Amino acid sequence: MNSKERLLKALKGEDTDRSPCICPGGMMNMVVTALMEKANIHWPEAHTDPIKMAGLAKAVYDYGCFENYGVPFCMTIEAEQMGAVVDLGSTVYEPHVTGYVIDNLSEWGKLPRLDPYGKRAKIVLDAIKILKKDDNRVPIIGNLSGPVSVAASLIEPVDYYKGLRRHREDAHAFMSFVTEGLISFGKAQIEAGADVIAISDPSGTGEILGPRLFDEYVVTYVNQLIDGLHEINPELPIIVHICGQMHKVYQELNKIRADAHSFDSIVSIKESKKVMPGKIMIGNVSTYALEFADADRIRVLTQKVMDDGSDIIAPACGLGTKSSLENIQAMLQIVQQSSHEA
Amino acid sequence: MDATPLMKINRNNLEGKVKDMAKSKEELLQQLSDCVFEMEDENAADAAKEYIDAGYEALDGVLKGLVDGMNRAGQMYEEEEYFVTDLLVCSDAMYNGLEVLRPHLPLDQDADAVNYKCVIGVVEGDTHDIGKNLVRIMLETAGFEMYDLGRDVSLISFVEKAKEVDAQLICLSTLMTTTMPGMKEVVEMLEKEGLKDKVKVMIGGGPISQAYCDQINADGYAVNAIGAVTLAKELVGMA
Repeated sequence: MNSKERLLKALKGEDTDRSPCICPGGMMNMVVTALMEKANIHWPEAHTDPIKMAGLAKAVYDYGCFENYGVPFCMTIEAEQMGAVVDLGSTVYEPHVTGYVIDNLSEWGKLPRLDPYGKRAKIVLDAIKILKKDDNRVPIIGNLSGPVSVAASLIEPVDYYKGLRRHREDAHAFMSFVTEGLISFGKAQIEAGADVIAISDPSGTGEILGPRLFDEYVVTYVNQLIDGLHEINPELPIIVHICGQMHKVYQELNKIRADAHSFDSIVSIKESKKVMPGKIMIGNVSTYALEFADADRIRVLTQKVMDDGSDIIAPACGLGTKSSLENIQAMLQIVQQSSHEA
Repeated sequence: MDATPLMKINRNNLEGKVKDMAKSKEELLQQLSDCVFEMEDENAADAAKEYIDAGYEALDGVLKGLVDGMNRAGQMYEEEEYFVTDLLVCSDAMYNGLEVLRPHLPLDQDADAVNYKCVIGVVEGDTHDIGKNLVRIMLETAGFEMYDLGRDVSLISFVEKAKEVDAQLICLSTLMTTTMPGMKEVVEMLEKEGLKDKVKVMIGGGPISQAYCDQINADGYAVNAIGAVTLAKELVGMA
């Protein structure tokens, strides 16, 4: 079974020879400095050059880190396409938003529509096309920032979060607009060759929003996004990653029409499997451990995550760029070994 | 935000004054507290005016009204009945009320009173500042003089600002794994400058843990904004 078959089957809950070990990309960063050195492709250049972006994504697979390709390496492209000012970061820092576009939710009409074929969005599409040409045995994960995270990159987040309560009509119109943009970018990624779409919405956590707003905004617009993407291919697997504690919003989370959910290491896979029956669980090896513990400890932690019933083994969050290759490779090695023992 | 509204209050002068006041003062205080607690940010200014017009002390209005409401909201947050968005709206109500009460506050006449100063910001490379803003609000509510450097703050700025204002505390926040190492650098800079004992460093944010705090030799980690208040008071020895 090759990596692509394995992941696509696992995402649909079908039988596989063993669990896949992946890291989607996007917010779920899978690139570390040591890998950049090996591949001789570095941030921030890899954010603006499709050949370098594809090359670095491929290195993740070739150097035995994870069993997938994934682009892009940040979560700022969507907001940038809608007018936000982005600092592309450095070899260690990811790109991040430094300038918002609107001061008030009611001004959402001033935002430019997300152009999925322009600027850095095009870089991502071109990188996916390069990866697609290269090999068809490795699954390509296209990444989208979630609706709440993109919205909170276009306006000062405090004003945004308060607006969700106070100016609901504007807030919903704004969110619809953002989500439409995301659908167009996601569709373009699928057309370019993405096999899976991962949506990461760290700013849409239940810890910030509470169950009511989580339901009203995160569930509504993530579902709208998923439905939009499914217009192209109803079977296309969708992964959703949301940060933070989940116990207050499990009920709402169950309404999200994703195939698979990825969580922080703070969330117990055992517990989430119980309260979200029928959902595929991805995760959740501590990224803290991946950066600061040794390979032996990583092997133990990865085994525990497998024993807890995680269907697809992955880091719990984006990797710190200073994590060692050895630690990341240890994770994959232990997952690969499991097939021999099974 | 270098303004320090709640700091200008001498907290030593208020004990025992409320006891013999008429009940209506208590009612008005309750109303102020409720405006904050119940997120009635649009009514808070009116409630504050009503309180001042009735001739009561602005100082009590702040501490036993607005701040009391914010503390009650903080309690609910700890019990997971309120969430971050709720606290943000509560704090709007608090600041709206404060704007009315502030001109009526007595000036900071007690020169001997200790001013607890705290520099706060999101470390370089990261712009997620919701958690930081909430901690700033809660620390300000608790009486700290806050110097908020904002987000994506160059690491040296924390040390420079702390030296400039003679701060006892630096609060560092980040939500990203990739920017965590900046916290360690700030601690090391303080060590190099021989300021490590004088200026305490408190860290927090999504990927941060007590283990990381111990590892980088920071002085404390708080899991949320309420924990941050308890920890900050402990670190600077605030009663």
